[in-house]
Amino acid sequence: MKLIKPLIAALAMFVSVTALGAGAHGDGHASKSGEAGKPSEASRTITVAMYDNYYEPESIAVKSGETVRFVVENKGNLVHEFNIGTPAMHEGHQKEMVKMVEHGVIQGGKLNRGMMSMDMGDGQSMKHDDPNSILLEPGESKELVWKFSDKADIEFACNVPGHYQSGMYGNVNFN
Amino acid sequence: MKLRFLASAFGLMMPAIVFAGEYNLTVDRIQIDTGDFVKEGIGYNGASPGPVLRFKEGEEVSINVTNNLDEMTSIHWHGLILPFKQDGVPGISFTGIKPGETFTYNFPIIQSGTYWFHSHSGFQEPDGAFGAIVIEPEGREPYRYDRDYVVQLTDKHPHSGDRIMRNLKMMADYYNRQQLTVGDFAEDASEKGFLATLKDRMMWGDMRMMKVDVEDVQGFTGMINGKGPDQNWTGLFEPGERIRLRFINSSAMTYFDVRIPGLEMTVVQADGNNVQPVTVDEFRIGVAETYDVLVRPKTAEAYTIFAESMGRSGFARATLATKEGLEAPVPSLREPPLLTMADMGEMEGMAGMDHGSMAGMDQPDMEGMDHSKMAGMNQSDMEGMDHSKMAGMSQSGMEGMDHSKMAGMKQSGMEGMDHSKMAGMNQSGMEGMDHSKMAGMKQSGMEGMDHSKMAMDDGSVSDPFYAKGSGLLPVAANGGKFLSYADLKAQKPLFEEREATREIELRLTGNMERYIWSINGVKYEDADPIRLQYGERVRFKFVNETMMTHPMHLHGMWSILDVGAGQLNPVKHTVSVQPGTTVYMETEVDAPGQWAFHCHLSYHAATGMFRKIIVEGGPETPAAAVSEQSVKVGGGA
Repeated sequence: MKLIKPLIAALAMFVSVTALGAGAHGDGHASKSGEAGKPSEASRTITVAMYDNYYEPESIAVKSGETVRFVVENKGNLVHEFNIGTPAMHEGHQKEMVKMVEHGVIQGGKLNRGMMSMDMGDGQSMKHDDPNSILLEPGESKELVWKFSDKADIEFACNVPGHYQSGMYGNVNFN
Repeated sequence: MKLRFLASAFGLMMPAIVFAGEYNLTVDRIQIDTGDFVKEGIGYNGASPGPVLRFKEGEEVSINVTNNLDEMTSIHWHGLILPFKQDGVPGISFTGIKPGETFTYNFPIIQSGTYWFHSHSGFQEPDGAFGAIVIEPEGREPYRYDRDYVVQLTDKHPHSGDRIMRNLKMMADYYNRQQLTVGDFAEDASEKGFLATLKDRMMWGDMRMMKVDVEDVQGFTGMINGKGPDQNWTGLFEPGERIRLRFINSSAMTYFDVRIPGLEMTVVQADGNNVQPVTVDEFRIGVAETYDVLVRPKTAEAYTIFAESMGRSGFARATLATKEGLEAPVPSLREPPLLTMADMGEMEGMAGMDHGSMAGMDQPDMEGMDHSKMAGMNQSDMEGMDHSKMAGMSQSGMEGMDHSKMAGMKQSGMEGMDHSKMAGMNQSGMEGMDHSKMAGMKQSGMEGMDHSKMAMDDGSVSDPFYAKGSGLLPVAANGGKFLSYADLKAQKPLFEEREATREIELRLTGNMERYIWSINGVKYEDADPIRLQYGERVRFKFVNETMMTHPMHLHGMWSILDVGAGQLNPVKHTVSVQPGTTVYMETEVDAPGQWAFHCHLSYHAATGMFRKIIVEGGPETPAAAVSEQSVKVGGGA
């Protein structure tokens, strides 16, 4: 997760996730948590509901190398994220999410998508378009296809300020 | 002590399983050992604090309280919503519990969270008569943790409550050890000049107050869960665990600034009600408030829970560690704050000024505006006035001003104002203003604005719940985030949002020299009850005209604190009002009967900052059934 993104990525949210792959980050995270998966290779679907501020279920079991299709639904009244990564990745992302709140991109239950692509004056934007993450307003639902790599310390987590800290995360257990 | 059983053992047909719990408390004379001194006090079941009462939402509790004292006693269930006769205030809810008598409280538990209980008789509470209440919710908590500790703070004094009260009445500054001396005067005079210093001192003298009146009862030992700093209460954890700390301030008089060096704290609950989680480095807990925080120590080191009194005259200390006996460094006390002229903001001419409705105003125009010469202005004069002459004017008068009366001011008058010459003026003049009525302001300027952290020109940080320039403005020891009331937003609204049906202004008043505290200038024994109608929504306006912070506690009904978050305003039972500020809260009048409403500083409540509330009408208790007794309640906030 970097704030600096090529503009083109804005349109790439899901459609071109496959094409972009996790390699587009160039930050090495991909090797730890896996990479964007091809929908055709998904072995099964896991539905994850997001409430204020916790997930159901709070842990999932996967196999190394398995591709899973996640259907993520925001059933709460606040904006929530579903992000697959290591605890260190989440911690780094939390700093970026603090900025999104400070700048009004996330306001409680509202996601100001217009502001996300706005140039902040220094060539940076607050686009939230990495393939390992989706950010949803209340009532929204989206899919994320993820190919898990080898066994690693991975959590799915909501990095909206305060949410991870208060326990909005789930464990990914490898069978 | 806890005899819980299934009331519905035979009621398997019932749709819901109802738990009934029976609890026993004895009220006893005990010895309290702070590590600094041993003092006779009052406790429950032989200890102070008493036991942690653990209830479950939906439970019917039955609590037998046996008075082993040779004087009357009572227990008030602080923050619990219950029938008024179970509320435990002698002279308002019931007559009290006689020596040797066992009184049984019966009420349903219809909420969850962290609360506490304490005597409401005399000064038994400062003498040690308090304990914690933890209520488990019916459903799941909206957060996760592996361990759960109550962290109950108090300010144990070597003098009994009765003796402190006598001494304060005899000499209000009896316990004020930080008084400015003749030497301080000489020092100030050499820095500021003799006349300026003399004028400063005379102004303070006029108010019968002193700059150092932050804490009027010093000389205490701060305690956590019954342990003084050297006795070091310790909460155990395994690295990586999330720990819920339930902070309760059971002090008689002391606000604490709480931090755990090395750990961030995520605040998830205030006064028993869940708030949207906010991660902070430090928070200030008012007397009678509770805050629940989650911490996650990742390593096996020890961490100090450090609670410094707001006036820096004492501290409480505890430790989080992987085993007993470990310690982390204990920070030293920071410099005591001095009150400033800002803290007497409401007492100057500004208090009466009226800026009318700011709806439609553009935020950028507001910044840097200096209204300092507008004191006492008449509304009508505002129209078309020219602000261009205001450059260079002093900003001090602005501090602590209250814009709330602005509703109804002619907008057109504002639009015609000439702000053009105001550029470059000092922004800080705006601080301390009340934003609560500014809802209609142009959104573009407001959106995403974080009012809890209004960075000033000089890089300092402000808090809308403190007068600008207030000496009490809290700053995190590590330079990080200090919790503000403005950060508190309800996790889920408890009530439908609606307009208040009326506003009641309560000026918090007092005469420090005579140690009389009052509301609207009238002390409790001379005051008529405040009459509310069942079903109305009342907006209370607190105007603090004193130099002390007052934690105002309404019994029986929630205090919806106006932080400008609309339906997400946090729901509390105790609302702190800082000197020189105006704070609003709204109450859905949904509990028939009569209730206490008072400052929770023990010696302020006892000397008159106290009211009886009578709720007229309602389904269960016709107004006629509410007795008109006016028994003197005494102290025991």
